[in-house]
Amino acid sequence: MTVSLSRKYTFCASHRLHSSALSDDENRAIYGKCNNPNGHGHNYEVELTVRGVVDAVTGRVVALDVLDRLAEERILAPLRYRNLNEEIDAFQTAVPTTENLAFEIDRGLRSVWMGVFGDAGPMLERVRIWETERNICEIAVIG
Amino acid sequence: MIISKKVEFSASHVCRSPELSDADNFRVYGAAANPLGHGHNYVVEVAIAGEPDPVTGMILDLKRLKEILEAKVLDVYDHRLLNREVEPFDRIVPTVENIAIDIWNRLAARIDDTGRARLHSVRVHETNELFAEYRGE
Repeated sequence: MTVSLSRKYTFCASHRLHSSALSDDENRAIYGKCNNPNGHGHNYEVELTVRGVVDAVTGRVVALDVLDRLAEERILAPLRYRNLNEEIDAFQTAVPTTENLAFEIDRGLRSVWMGVFGDAGPMLERVRIWETERNICEIAVIG
Repeated sequence: MIISKKVEFSASHVCRSPELSDADNFRVYGAAANPLGHGHNYVVEVAIAGEPDPVTGMILDLKRLKEILEAKVLDVYDHRLLNREVEPFDRIVPTVENIAIDIWNRLAARIDDTGRARLHSVRVHETNELFAEYRGE
């Protein structure tokens, strides 16, 4: 029996949405208040959905301590209380929108996923990020 | 088309496998392995799939769905110690994954019996940070 288990984590960070490929006017028009040169911050929430077969002994799809450790190492420790534009490599070039942040988190997890859980282990089905209550982005494996 | 209904129940449980050592139980389940138990306010989201009836505009009369959920889920689970009072948790660990599967098993045939609708998914939230979804696969 295959079940999807979702676990939510939170971290706080600051950012500024500004593209060097656009003029100042264009940046203001596209990103609005998020283009404020001084930056601003959010309480981000990250939900990881893991899909797999329920283990007959533990009743679990994934070892939560292992998932929590992975989330801490790959997501929370690097991003917690950071200025994303200044302190995170990927956002030296990419704009730290929720979309790009989701992409970076997804990529960071997938690069080590097989090494942690193995071929027969659970899969990472979806990564979802709340920037605010109203601004949510998800990356899901289809099918 | 899919329509979801949410219900809530409160229950206690112990997450502990007799096949694991004490240390392993605490490693796997954390504080939830406390042998004296603890509880949650569980939120169950049941999604029903089907085409709306051309006359009523409903996939399934929500009153009917509410009655089914009360009889098959709330009467069984609400204010119970799951390990002692709800089958199959005398045999398997009442993790949120297993609760989602068990609720599916209790509901699927009853939803089919209603005619137009079938059960699409059962989502069980144990806390704001943890939920499981089962789609009968």
